[in-house]
Amino acid sequence: MNILAQLIISGVVVGMIYGVIAFGYQLTFATSKTLNFGQGEALMLGALVGLTTINFLIGQSLSSFAAYLLMLPVVLAFGLLQGAVVEFLGVRQAIRTKSEAGWIMATIALGIIFKNLAENIWGRDALRFPSPLPEAALTIGPMRIQPMEIAIVLGAIALMIAVEVFNRRSIYGKAVVATANDRDAAGLMGINTRLVITFSYALSSMAAAFAGVLVAPITLTGATMGAVLGLKAFAVAIIGGLSSGFGVVVGGLILGVSENLTGYYISTGYKDVPGLVLLLLVLTFKPSGLFGSAAIKKV
Amino acid sequence: MLTIENLVAGYGKVQVLHGISLEVPQGRLVTLIGSNGAGKTTTLRALSGMIEPQSGSIRLDGKDIAGLPAYEITRRGMAHSPEGRRVFPTLPVTDNLLLGAFTRFTGMRPRGDTSADLDRMFELFPRLRERRTQLAGTLSGGEQQMLAMARALMLNPEVLLLDEPSMGLAPKLVEEVFATVARLKERKITMLLVEQFAAAALEVADYGYVMENGRISIHGPAAQLRNDPAVRDAYLGVAH
Repeated sequence: MNILAQLIISGVVVGMIYGVIAFGYQLTFATSKTLNFGQGEALMLGALVGLTTINFLIGQSLSSFAAYLLMLPVVLAFGLLQGAVVEFLGVRQAIRTKSEAGWIMATIALGIIFKNLAENIWGRDALRFPSPLPEAALTIGPMRIQPMEIAIVLGAIALMIAVEVFNRRSIYGKAVVATANDRDAAGLMGINTRLVITFSYALSSMAAAFAGVLVAPITLTGATMGAVLGLKAFAVAIIGGLSSGFGVVVGGLILGVSENLTGYYISTGYKDVPGLVLLLLVLTFKPSGLFGSAAIKKV
Repeated sequence: MLTIENLVAGYGKVQVLHGISLEVPQGRLVTLIGSNGAGKTTTLRALSGMIEPQSGSIRLDGKDIAGLPAYEITRRGMAHSPEGRRVFPTLPVTDNLLLGAFTRFTGMRPRGDTSADLDRMFELFPRLRERRTQLAGTLSGGEQQMLAMARALMLNPEVLLLDEPSMGLAPKLVEEVFATVARLKERKITMLLVEQFAAAALEVADYGYVMENGRISIHGPAAQLRNDPAVRDAYLGVAH
């Protein structure tokens, strides 16, 4: 029982990370029906920029907690900028020329370029990321959980709520939703929909960069950390449904928990299998995802 | 207010409009009638920037706006209630209306009193007030049409383009739509109305243009067109 609860908790933590990255996929898909296949690399760059920033701040004799908090706005701003660059270089032309596959190759290519860049700047070794919180695990009932793991779950939820509140409350957020609903009609409202798409890419990479600095303190940081996370989050986005913010969270949790359970009870060698089997099942029986809905049809 | 000269436009290599010229004076209601496929909707789409004109000039308040993107044209005061209503289905009625005033909230057009205008829309379309928290995608066709018109009016437009507001509506609702158009005319809103119900459109309009195969075939004061034998035979049926 203890083990089971423990496995589920760790699965939830990993699942929330998948959820945040997948949430990013969903943001750009909603406005432009395109995705950044370099989302994992956006996470990796965010984590490494965060690492350099936090080490610099700790070098200024700040505590690791204060340094982490000060580092966050830098990383979020970097994520926004990086996402805008991806849209500008890789996606805009493809959308303009209505290319079906151009953006796929372009975002993959940019991801590879970013990975090479990171290898040259930060090296090929995995680096340790200073933890802002005590690393000793807390004992809650039958479970032991690290403070940083709690921070991951809370941080992930906070980010998604923040985006949701922005979309519902502010006129700019409503403009984003309008663009996702009907791009031409949004243009008739005076909304520059091309700018909205750039913004959604910026926001998407920001979410990934944020996920990067959330996960970095409990894993290691390096140029290759993003590839697997990005791919799994893509599976999560398909399982949960690319049109549902709630779906990606549930999809993330399903994948995270099933990995942990399989890894412990069957074999770590098979830990990715249940999630990927689920992916195949969803694609076969409910291609819009578990929580995805077909668009409301006009009467 | 709105002057169009030799407008040529189409989709890809297919040319639909072969040189349209028409004028919508300030405070007037002008209607564009014609059979299916004559190019009425294409004309409106070219005016509001939904498609890029191939040649010709479109002057709004003296300034050429041909070729500008739709959002730029909206920011200059052209509101378009498009064919098929195109409301935002996953947003509530109120949010749809607020988005009509997007340019006013964001300082691209004079702000004015947006909440008073919202109230005015609810007075003009009481059904929308009842449904204000409902998602636009769940409204009936007639309610969506009212919403599309109200959303366009929230711009406080210089010119309002209305594309077939009666399309697909029950006869009683069609009457209601034309009554609303008449009320907007009383308020001196400059309008270009595209309609298939030619008789009703000429009843309410000041001036009319008849389109045939991408060209203007006849135009004149609405009262005169109503009595024109050619127009009566082709578009007004035998009821008159």
